[in-house]
Amino acid sequence: MTALIEAKNISKTFSRGGVFARRRIEAVKGINFSLEEDKPEIFAVIGESGSGKSTLARMILGIHKPSGGQLIFQGQDVDKIPRAGRAAFMARVQPIFQNPFEAFNPLKKLDFYLTMTATRFGGATSRAEADAASDQALRQVGLSLDEIKGRFPHELSGGQLQRVAIARALVSKPRLILADEPVSMVDASLRMSIVNLFGDLRDRLGLSIIYITHDLATAYYISDRLIIMRHGEVVEQGPAREVLSNPQHPYSQQLRAAVLSPSATLETITPTH
Amino acid sequence: MSSQPILRVENLKAHFRGTYFGVSREVRAVDDISFDVERNEIFGLAGESSSGKTTLIKTIAGLIRPPLELVGGRAQFAFLPDAPTIHQAAPAAVAAIRWRHLSYIMQGSMNVLNPLRRIGATFRDFALPHLGGSAGAFEATVTAHLERLRLDPSVLSAYPHELSGGMRQRVTIALATICKPEFIIADEPTTALDVIVQKDVLGMIRSIQREMGSSVLFVTHDMGVHATLTDKLGVMYAGRLVEVGATRDVFAAPRHPYTRHLIHSLPRIGDVTQRSGLPGTPPNLANPPPGCRFHPRCPLAMDICRTVQPAMIDVGPGHRASCHAISEGGS
Repeated sequence: MTALIEAKNISKTFSRGGVFARRRIEAVKGINFSLEEDKPEIFAVIGESGSGKSTLARMILGIHKPSGGQLIFQGQDVDKIPRAGRAAFMARVQPIFQNPFEAFNPLKKLDFYLTMTATRFGGATSRAEADAASDQALRQVGLSLDEIKGRFPHELSGGQLQRVAIARALVSKPRLILADEPVSMVDASLRMSIVNLFGDLRDRLGLSIIYITHDLATAYYISDRLIIMRHGEVVEQGPAREVLSNPQHPYSQQLRAAVLSPSATLETITPTH
Repeated sequence: MSSQPILRVENLKAHFRGTYFGVSREVRAVDDISFDVERNEIFGLAGESSSGKTTLIKTIAGLIRPPLELVGGRAQFAFLPDAPTIHQAAPAAVAAIRWRHLSYIMQGSMNVLNPLRRIGATFRDFALPHLGGSAGAFEATVTAHLERLRLDPSVLSAYPHELSGGMRQRVTIALATICKPEFIIADEPTTALDVIVQKDVLGMIRSIQREMGSSVLFVTHDMGVHATLTDKLGVMYAGRLVEVGATRDVFAAPRHPYTRHLIHSLPRIGDVTQRSGLPGTPPNLANPPPGCRFHPRCPLAMDICRTVQPAMIDVGPGHRASCHAISEGGS
């Protein structure tokens, strides 16, 4: 039972201002969780804006250094990875961003990103190898290199572009994917196919996915476990369906009650005070 | 007068026309749309990005700027009785009804408030010319109105960046409703907000609408919001209205395959059945597919769908949909 990634009491404090009026903002306060190496799962991180979920994501990616605690990825402290080992770490932990239209440079062709990832992190040494790796990754998401080669981001719809973003993350054969609000900018008719794709990647490729979202309904639908964050702290955690069916913490209950669904009525949303 | 709808949209067409490198291009963003909005109701407009929702409400509000062009049809407001459509009314008449009768809650409250002016100054800029009266009386009106939206009067001396997203959105709602307009257009007002704040803001729009008896044209792609808030629902796909009816009826028995997909693909807490996305992608409006625009993605597509544009037909009281499968007798 080895951990793929383990967060041990990690926290992050930002300081703002100069010598005078110095303010400290505690974005993440002592979070613990761990994902098992041999048990791929979709782990949802739920919280409102400002709850520290994106700061947590940046720490997992090694962009921010934790101010306290340790983040262990496959037995290695993420913070202490030497410069030489950085690329190997990045190959194993890959991000997917919220807005596919902002994630890609509109003036660059899409296959450029796939080739770059293949040569930098995927170990491809020739053009042919990079193309083969790109094509393989694109096929995992239901596309192929023939469809993508030479095309610019504006030629694809949001859903297709997000698939390309996921394929790009898969090129380096990662163990962990960090998806920050990956479906909130995708059209409603295509959203569920992206969400289903995550489930498919978990089942077929054995990938673990950290799914950051504020959408409780998709978290319920796809994730195995979840943590609910508020003001940098975890207020509730556990198996996704159990927690969302019967939330215990007042904040989780409030979140649960705010989910709008076709069965909700007008009266339930009218403020009472 | 009371039986007359407050807004009647008939065969409205607005296209983007432009010439790029000598090639003229026409994007039919609003194509032959008709519906009525009655007094004291919330009319919801659903559809995904690039389905023409925002272009439609801009056209209805008379905010037509090149390259957008009005091609045909009309949008008549009951408070502009002399003009058959808002686009033919005198500019002075349109300016007079803005804010007073027709107001607009804009998308992205972060961007619509002037960051260099205090909220109070923004209120004076927008509402004072319409409300008139002394500065003291105006101040009192504004304060009373803010309290209705559970905002502290101290926000008037704050700059936009000092307020949270939810508060800013409430300020824009307060701005749009201060003159007690008869018709409010709301363009995705809650999309950028967190679920708890969203619920709060929706409840507020609902209660203030009920209190003032106004009509609201509420645009969002979130079907959950439509189910909770709106009285009537129109669903747009690729620049056309594909289904319209009472929200309750549309959710209970959606007739157009696209509406059915939107409703059935919504994940719900407590329901673990498999949901799926639609195959294909939304069409390019510069070159829409012939016949029914939905046919390349439609599970029920027949031969006729590929060539003939389906007409809007009645499928129930006040419930219309445009699909060949309905007229063929199937569903």
